[in-house]
Amino acid sequence: MAGARRRILVVEDDPVTAEQVADSLANNGYEVDIAADGNVGLRRGRSAEYAVMTIDRMLPGIDGITVIRQLRKEGIITPALILSALGEVDDRVRGLRAGGDDYLVKPFAFVELLARVEALARRSTAVLKETMLQAGDLELDLVSRTAKRSGREIALRPREFEVLWYLVRNQGRVVSRAMLLQHVWDLHFDPTTNIIDVYVGRVRRKVDGQHTYPLIHTVRGVGFCLRAPG
Amino acid sequence: MLLAETLRSSTLKLALLAIGLFGSVMFALIGYLYWSTASYVGSRSDRAIAAEQIVLKEAYERAGRDGLTATISQRIADGRLESGVYLLADASFVSIGGNLKFWPAALKDAQGWASITQKSTPEAVALPLLRVAFETLPDGSHLLVGRNIYDLDTFVGAIRTALAGTIGFLIVLAGMAAFLITRRTVGRIEAINTTSRAIMQSGLGQRMPLRGTRDEWDRLAQNLNLMLSRIEELMTEVKQVSDNVAHDLRTPLTRMHARLEKAHDQPRDSARDQALISDTMGDLSTVLGMFSSLLRIAQIEGNSRSDAFCTVNLAEIAGDVVELFDAAAEEVGGRIKMQSQEPVLVTGDRDLLFDAIANVVDNAIKFGGEAGRVTVDVVERDGTPLVSIADHGPGIPFEQRTHVLKRFYRLEHSRHASGNGLGLSLVAAVAKLHDARIEMLDNAPGLVFRLWFPRGTEHQSHS
Repeated sequence: MAGARRRILVVEDDPVTAEQVADSLANNGYEVDIAADGNVGLRRGRSAEYAVMTIDRMLPGIDGITVIRQLRKEGIITPALILSALGEVDDRVRGLRAGGDDYLVKPFAFVELLARVEALARRSTAVLKETMLQAGDLELDLVSRTAKRSGREIALRPREFEVLWYLVRNQGRVVSRAMLLQHVWDLHFDPTTNIIDVYVGRVRRKVDGQHTYPLIHTVRGVGFCLRAPG
Repeated sequence: MLLAETLRSSTLKLALLAIGLFGSVMFALIGYLYWSTASYVGSRSDRAIAAEQIVLKEAYERAGRDGLTATISQRIADGRLESGVYLLADASFVSIGGNLKFWPAALKDAQGWASITQKSTPEAVALPLLRVAFETLPDGSHLLVGRNIYDLDTFVGAIRTALAGTIGFLIVLAGMAAFLITRRTVGRIEAINTTSRAIMQSGLGQRMPLRGTRDEWDRLAQNLNLMLSRIEELMTEVKQVSDNVAHDLRTPLTRMHARLEKAHDQPRDSARDQALISDTMGDLSTVLGMFSSLLRIAQIEGNSRSDAFCTVNLAEIAGDVVELFDAAAEEVGGRIKMQSQEPVLVTGDRDLLFDAIANVVDNAIKFGGEAGRVTVDVVERDGTPLVSIADHGPGIPFEQRTHVLKRFYRLEHSRHASGNGLGLSLVAAVAKLHDARIEMLDNAPGLVFRLWFPRGTEHQSHS
């Protein structure tokens, strides 16, 4: 996968936001097309192969939800990340029901956006059927749901295992707190407390405790990243 | 001012219209009454004259002109017929007998009826008003029989005056009443208007004046006053919130500003700059976090029961919260445990319920968990789902328990703890959206925070 220039469609009516999103995606190796309204978004979405599209909820012309619904009706399954200033339950549910794959509330950190786009891009290309995952000397057995570091088993609770699994699956990439909350706990809101940090902190103590090389790193202001040394 | 207002008032216009309408009806009624009285009196008098005329004609037929003259004299002499008027004149209208001096010049017809006034025949009578019947007898002489109807006329006139006076008096009285009542109404309204203007100009401190009469105006004023109090309360709250936002925002913003200013004056140093950028981003996310919390609360408060609601297991949600916060409790040396795992079902939104319970648990650990225990209990008590979170911290004084649900309200001992004072506001908003009731009890020591959800059956009928 690495090296392949993948195309992303950014449907966003605010030129400044569009430019910033495009820049941050381009800096991370994506080729970016921008559509400034719903009609253009719909046309582009139909015509080209995109790895992921990000789409603003409210757009001039056709709104984002309608664009996604139309594309899905036409059989186009490009994963869509909805960006919106509307964060409430109903809006999220409506967005996801219309065929959106993920939902990000403005304002967001670009790292968060990038993390989510990468997760969606990967989902669109690879269906992983692994039973073992590895990151450096950390091994996860997805069948018995156990983790070993340097051959020694780490005692993890079920949720702790899932946190670690998600971090390993996304190794080398930043995982935000909201993403963890979403994928491990199936909760869709921005935690206002540092509770996720505390929880991940405990997982980190269990995983990195007596080892020279820490695997789990905190990315300030955003979330975490699991990096294998070397 | 008041006079002009009164004259402009729609009440007065309506009252005057009503007075006009009723006045016309009354005028017609009284006019009819007058007309029928007058014609009754007149016809009675005419019948009496006709009867007298017949008597005299009989005398004439019996005894000729002399007999008639004698009968006339006799009738004049009779005191009972005081008001009678008689005159017999020859063919050339020269008086032969009777108590009228001469034949009125106007009566030249062979026969008929007439009313004679001093005005119409000034020379004829000393008497003010006569009603007469006259005819020509077979021998060519003329007979006039009449009555003095001055008294009758006076009587009818008196009735007319009385009736007209009544109408006039009633109209004037009604007009005055309308004016006074309108002025009173306008006065009350004007008092309310004046206060309203004063409130618009100088603030919500003033209240509508009450007269203590407990009438509809007082009730209106009372309700307006209640409304004003409520608005004032909300305004104070909003002001407090914005003051708090300003205050809580200023701290991280000032920090960021100072840091950036210092960095601006120093030569670039990549390691130091990196730390600076990280710190600034941390502060910024605090600010953004506060905004999104405020927005989230506002959105939840503005929402009605949503179609995203579904049946969720409170015990499972609370269990997840407990599991998540276990690490945090451990970190401060406390312990958190869940009493029971029996499923308790309610209709709701899992994210919001999780967030709400998490906020209460977060507080319990932060303020009550130090080397202590936090107990979360989800049960169904008499069919009512109940989530209770108990700690052994300092608790919340009774009189502060409603305040802690307000935005940015922080208790003295929590002022220096982390957090933005929005957690329990979110809990309150979520509870309200789920029709849940919040109860705070003394755990002696500590706090029991309870969320009572609506009974399952009621809930079903809701959705």
